[in-house]
Amino acid sequence: MRPQTYSNVADNSGARESMRIRVPGASNRQYASIGDMIVAVVREAVPNMPPKGSEVVRAVIARTRKGLNRDNGMAIRFDDNAAVAIDREGNPKGTRVFGPVARESRECHFAKTVSSAPEVLR
Amino acid sequence: MRLEKCWFCSSTIYPGHGMMYVRNDAKIFRFCRSKCHKNFKMKRNPRKVKWTKIYRKLHGKELPQDTTFELERKRNRPERYDRNVVEDTVKAMKKISETRVEREAQTLANRMRGKKTQQRREDLAELQQGIHLVKAPTALLEEPSLTLPKEKMKVKVSVEQESKAMES
Repeated sequence: MRPQTYSNVADNSGARESMRIRVPGASNRQYASIGDMIVAVVREAVPNMPPKGSEVVRAVIARTRKGLNRDNGMAIRFDDNAAVAIDREGNPKGTRVFGPVARESRECHFAKTVSSAPEVLR
Repeated sequence: MRLEKCWFCSSTIYPGHGMMYVRNDAKIFRFCRSKCHKNFKMKRNPRKVKWTKIYRKLHGKELPQDTTFELERKRNRPERYDRNVVEDTVKAMKKISETRVEREAQTLANRMRGKKTQQRREDLAELQQGIHLVKAPTALLEEPSLTLPKEKMKVKVSVEQESKAMES
């Protein structure tokens, strides 16, 4: 995912769509992939809920259309680009996560997010 | 390590090959190569695409139902490792695949039965109709060794030959 990429927000934190701004901690890192934390701005939100449009949030990328390449050689592609809103410590902001999530997110200390996902892809 | 089946063509996907597509409803589609993936993206129904195994089984081109297939079912519960079981399984796998190959060959033979005679009949008809392209009819008459192959239904052939002789 590059900066300016729109992605669906896959949880019930109140945001619907977010746009990626940056990858925190790196100088000019262009690409963020599944399992990376990103800084994003909320572009579209569910009305009357905390995150408002143009609020900056952190998120973990859960699915990308570009997908992953696993060690066993299998390539995995998802249907959309999606991220889950998290706070600074890495805990999910919402209570539920929608859609499948790749196992890679777990490896990057986002265990809580992954555990509330309906389906985790091994 | 697990050998999967391609969703589109039903061939085995070995490790290092293929691609997995996950839909948002968490349904997983595995493809053995981009050909299958592209067909999927075109929203083609594998049941209608002639080179897939599903089509072939549906249209009776291949062994549809057999006990050898049931033995290959996917089992999700891991078995406790037992050396003897593994040995027996390996032996059984070999025997099962041999049996399956035999049965598939039999199905093919059944399907192709009568094809040879039909082919021969068709070839003969073509020969009779088109022999003038190869040899002039008069040549056929002059050289008695040049005759069209005789079919079992002798009556039909001789009548046609006679009429040809009468024409020329």
